[in-house]
Amino acid sequence: MNIVFFEEVSFTIAFVIYIAAALSFFVYLAGGKEKAGKFGVIASIAGFIVHTAAMILRVIESGRLPFSNQFEFASSFTWGIVLIFLIIQFYYKFSSLGAFVMPLAFLMMGYASMLSKDIKPLMPALQSRWLTIHVGAAVISYGSFAVACGLAVMYLLNRKNMHKADSKLPDAEAYDYLSYRIIAFGFLMLTIVIVTGAIWAKYAWSRYWAWDPKETWSLITWLIYSVYLHLRFNRGWRGKPAAWFAVIGFVCVIFTFVGVNILLPGLHSYK
Amino acid sequence: MLKRFTNFLTSLKFGIILFIIIAVYSIIGTVIPQGMDMQFYLNQYQTFGSLMVFLQFDQVYSSVIYLVIVFVFIINLVGCTLKILPLQLKKMKDYIPNKGKNNENLYENWMDIEDIKRGFSKRGFKVIDREEGSYAVKHRIGHIGSSVTHLGIVIIILGALIGNMFVKEGYITLAPGEVYVFDEDGFTFRLNDFYLDLREDGSVEQYYSELTVYEDEKEPREEMIWVNNPLNINGMYFYQSDYGWASKMQITCADGHVHQESIIKENPHAFYEPEDLTVFLYGYFPDFSMDMHGNPVTLSQNVRNPAYAVVLYNEEGYVDSYIVEPGQPIKYKDIVITFVDSVLYTGLTYRQDFGYYPVLIGSIVLTLGILLSFYFYPKYILISPDEIIPVTRQNVWGFTIKIKKILEELNKVRGNNQ
Ligand code: HEM
Repeated sequence: MNIVFFEEVSFTIAFVIYIAAALSFFVYLAGGKEKAGKFGVIASIAGFIVHTAAMILRVIESGRLPFSNQFEFASSFTWGIVLIFLIIQFYYKFSSLGAFVMPLAFLMMGYASMLSKDIKPLMPALQSRWLTIHVGAAVISYGSFAVACGLAVMYLLNRKNMHKADSKLPDAEAYDYLSYRIIAFGFLMLTIVIVTGAIWAKYAWSRYWAWDPKETWSLITWLIYSVYLHLRFNRGWRGKPAAWFAVIGFVCVIFTFVGVNILLPGLHSYK
Repeated sequence: MLKRFTNFLTSLKFGIILFIIIAVYSIIGTVIPQGMDMQFYLNQYQTFGSLMVFLQFDQVYSSVIYLVIVFVFIINLVGCTLKILPLQLKKMKDYIPNKGKNNENLYENWMDIEDIKRGFSKRGFKVIDREEGSYAVKHRIGHIGSSVTHLGIVIIILGALIGNMFVKEGYITLAPGEVYVFDEDGFTFRLNDFYLDLREDGSVEQYYSELTVYEDEKEPREEMIWVNNPLNINGMYFYQSDYGWASKMQITCADGHVHQESIIKENPHAFYEPEDLTVFLYGYFPDFSMDMHGNPVTLSQNVRNPAYAVVLYNEEGYVDSYIVEPGQPIKYKDIVITFVDSVLYTGLTYRQDFGYYPVLIGSIVLTLGILLSFYFYPKYILISPDEIIPVTRQNVWGFTIKIKKILEELNKVRGNNQ
């Protein structure tokens, strides 16, 4: 047994725990048992720790950060989602948020689990410290958009039973605001992703911007969130339309992340 | 009429329409293959093909249409920003917001207003007493956040557009010992060595080009280029972008007299006039093998079992093809063709684009603007004997929570003191 074996084992355990966390959040949401919510949070934390261990093992094995192929991105993306979720959970204690965010996490983890886990050495173009900042910021940015999307869905569902006294979901207003604040943060990070990506491209490929599909789609995502922020700030858009916008924005993020790779292969590689 | 037009031109509504147009047009460019020739679109998209070419969907990002949209976008953005900037500057100096329906009064009975003011003061707020009442304020600079952000965007777009007009770029190949003169730019390259760093599995770790650079009125100097480490000479960047094998071809007569000698690099064809013979070097295979379809392949870039695949053509067409070792003769009529001395050559892309610098500066300005807008946004607390009202346009909810926390802290301190 070697490091790779332990890495795969911890990855799988983390995956299972994430599913368990999502399920118990559902139970909490459906049945209102405090315990289920608490268990969900504990499971998310445990899953996150095991997942972090898997990533660390991979770093040890490969001698670099896990940022260089679709499996590693997907795993890091999941990690980012859970990280942002736990931070928000720590501050605001919206246990029911888990029911909307953890499914995104385990779906992304499931996507990762279907990809090749081979550890390949970095191709020369990826050997850059800009890559670290670029992908690191992307993990945080995408994680934020995922959590904002979860909050928006919660808002949309909650609006319907806002007047029911026994609603387990806290104040819908709070989701709306928090979703917005997290999008603002994600937007800042996405800006950093695009800028560092351009700097890196300048050193690796000669052009800071080449309109390849990945770049273009990250720009489109950025434009969409920019529209959201403007409508919100200037037109007082909030509530339902804003929530739908947050969902659309995240669909765009997912497309940039997964769809572009599958449907629009571009030059994001060094031959 | 004109006023209404300019109002619309500089409105946020029009801005958002432009955002959407830009997004849609950009998406088109990612879905439709770019830069193919006209026939491709006519075949692929039938009737729509000609319309697509007319709308320049074949080269979205360099099309006149795109340029016009971006230009209108800049006018919109600049106009819109200039409209609000004076007010923002004024607010930065002197401004007290009104309370709205979203603003909560946090006053409670235990609060001693003077005490609270001192508390805010200690936490970075500036407390200002006026006849109309007092207020505490922080991050007034944030009023210009949106303008700074917009300025960043304008710098980026203009920098990129102007930069693109003066871009110089190209591609050169150099085998060791070869020299390339950049006449206009006043320097000369000599490639001393080019090599690959291979890993155990045969994949490439890195490519290295070692050069001597002779620049006018300067001492010659040694430089090294590898992927992700371009060489910068006065803003002209040289990138390690490609490599290949260069081979020496000799055509001799039977007695060994050399008729022709050429280096075969990127262009694999050599023409020998007296016999009307074209020699085509299909490939050089340093670690020669055959794949399952019987095609020649190389297992690695290590010179283990070198071989050349050669095809001959004359005026009538195909003659024959050969697989030969270095120095092994290919006989054709009275002449002998040999290949020897294969060396790796380097392919360097170069690009000079001064637009990069304004784009970089614009990006920094943009990022600062976003920080100002979302984190260092203006924060006000209206204070009167029975009111403590946090007011901000950006984030009432978060700011109110924050002020509640501060008030709780102050309450605790007060409790401890009593
Ligand atoms: C990609 C381009 C753009 C970016 C990244 C951007 C970014 C921003 C940011 C960060 C803010 C701060 C407000 C907030 O908290 O949401 C803002 C405000 C604003 N933006 Fe933009 N903007 C862009 C393009 C435009 C365009 C095209 C217009 C329309 C003409 C526009 C009009 C405005 C207006 C009117 C404000 C409010 C300013 C104020 O009242 O303080 N922006 N923008």
